[in-house]
Amino acid sequence: MLPSDHLSFLSIETLYCDHHGWLFRWLRGRLGNAADAADLAQEAFLRLLGKPCQFDSSESARAYLRAMAKGLCVDLWRRREVERVWLEIIADQPQAMVPSPEHCAIVIETLCEIAAMLASFPEKPANAFIMAQVYGMTYREIAIELGVSERMVKKYMAQAMLHCALIEVGYVAAC
Amino acid sequence: MSRPADTDSTDTNAADTTSSPSKDAGITQAGFESLKQAAHWYAVLRADDVTQDDHAAWHIWLDQHPEHRIAWQHVEAVSRRFQPLQTEEEQHAAVAALKAARKPNLSRRKVLNGAAAIAGISLFSWATWRHTPLSDLVMAWAADHHTGVGDIREIVLADGSRLWLNTDSTVNVDYHPALRRLQLITGEILIQTASDSQLSKRPFVIDTEHGRLQALGTRFTVRLNQGETYLAVFEGAVKIRTESTRTSEVITAGWQTRFTQDGITESQPAERARQAWAQGILLADNMRLQDLVAELSRYRSGHLGVAPEIANLRVMGTYPINDPDRTLAMLEEILPVRVRHILPWWVTIEAR
Repeated sequence: MLPSDHLSFLSIETLYCDHHGWLFRWLRGRLGNAADAADLAQEAFLRLLGKPCQFDSSESARAYLRAMAKGLCVDLWRRREVERVWLEIIADQPQAMVPSPEHCAIVIETLCEIAAMLASFPEKPANAFIMAQVYGMTYREIAIELGVSERMVKKYMAQAMLHCALIEVGYVAAC
Repeated sequence: MSRPADTDSTDTNAADTTSSPSKDAGITQAGFESLKQAAHWYAVLRADDVTQDDHAAWHIWLDQHPEHRIAWQHVEAVSRRFQPLQTEEEQHAAVAALKAARKPNLSRRKVLNGAAAIAGISLFSWATWRHTPLSDLVMAWAADHHTGVGDIREIVLADGSRLWLNTDSTVNVDYHPALRRLQLITGEILIQTASDSQLSKRPFVIDTEHGRLQALGTRFTVRLNQGETYLAVFEGAVKIRTESTRTSEVITAGWQTRFTQDGITESQPAERARQAWAQGILLADNMRLQDLVAELSRYRSGHLGVAPEIANLRVMGTYPINDPDRTLAMLEEILPVRVRHILPWWVTIEAR
């Protein structure tokens, strides 16, 4: 093991001892349940391990972890919301039409990814993109729906695609 | 015709402000520019009024630089994310869920109590539904020939060469004064080349993302499968040149191989089955049931699964490729298996 690995390993361990306690309590307060809080606290440290950061003070580590935990809460709420709406609508289907649990899991995963990609993106371009991608609507149909020109729809499509592609290559983080 | 150069920085400011390159980025300026252009081309090709000139210009752009091709693959990857949404109901549910997830003050209380979000659906309920995944659609529009799932088509090219497209395949045909060029975008083709009537005897080549194949008077199949190009030669010979390492090898009649951008796998004797599809036949010559089913699922939408305990059963015989349901019924007769239609799009084969 290289000396630098040893250092970052130690510092993660120190970070864990110093910060896991308050992070867990903070998450529990925010989420209102201990199981989710434990999962997310674990996840936050796992992400820290995957991408070790140098902190010059305990305070900066605390700020970093809190920001990451906030993001994880939003991810979790978004996932729950996607699941809830999806399952509610699917449950209204006639029994024969209900997709398998496996398929639902795939779709929910897909939707969470798409939702995360488009979360930070402006409303209209995001809607144009969703209408085009999910329904295969034409630019004219989308233009009428959104009350903009077809030229604008084309511009929205390019913007949204660029935004998603940048996330896809890992260049911009989804939030 | 619009070009990426038209989109100056003021034209795409929304995207620029959310995601402009920064110092610690894992992408080069050139990579960023290529992605931006790819996104622009995507919007152009997806438009209602896309023209042949747009397609041609897009092709030129794609061939201009390896970065462009990579950028285009990322655009396709984004498009593919939407593929699991197959039925109209799923699409409505998906749009409602995506809208709900976008609500600005998403929080625990809203998630627990929220009964809203479903309001958005009626707005879209009239929208048209298209089964084909969008990325395939975009590519199909940009290509000269395309087959849907389950279709096999024969085409006679301008020089008399014959081309068969297998199920769910897309080919661009690009004949220049100096070159006869095909580009395989998805799926599989069988080619029977004709000798060129032009005095110059133009070379006949097929490009895939993994490299170039040059026909040396011949009959052969090319298939894109799981990140590799498969080649099987039945007459004459074909020269492979890989895309990035530029490795070359001539494959002669009776041999088959596969290659990536970086290298060519050792050749093996060509399987007859590799060209049988052009006659509408699925040829099983001591084939594992699992492989036969994998082959069959190329011709059929939806999920087709095999229980693990029967996956290695051996199958012999010929089956109608364009009638997968009849093939399934035939399998039920000759093997100790039972076909269960769980849902119209979900079929599994189990031990009887």
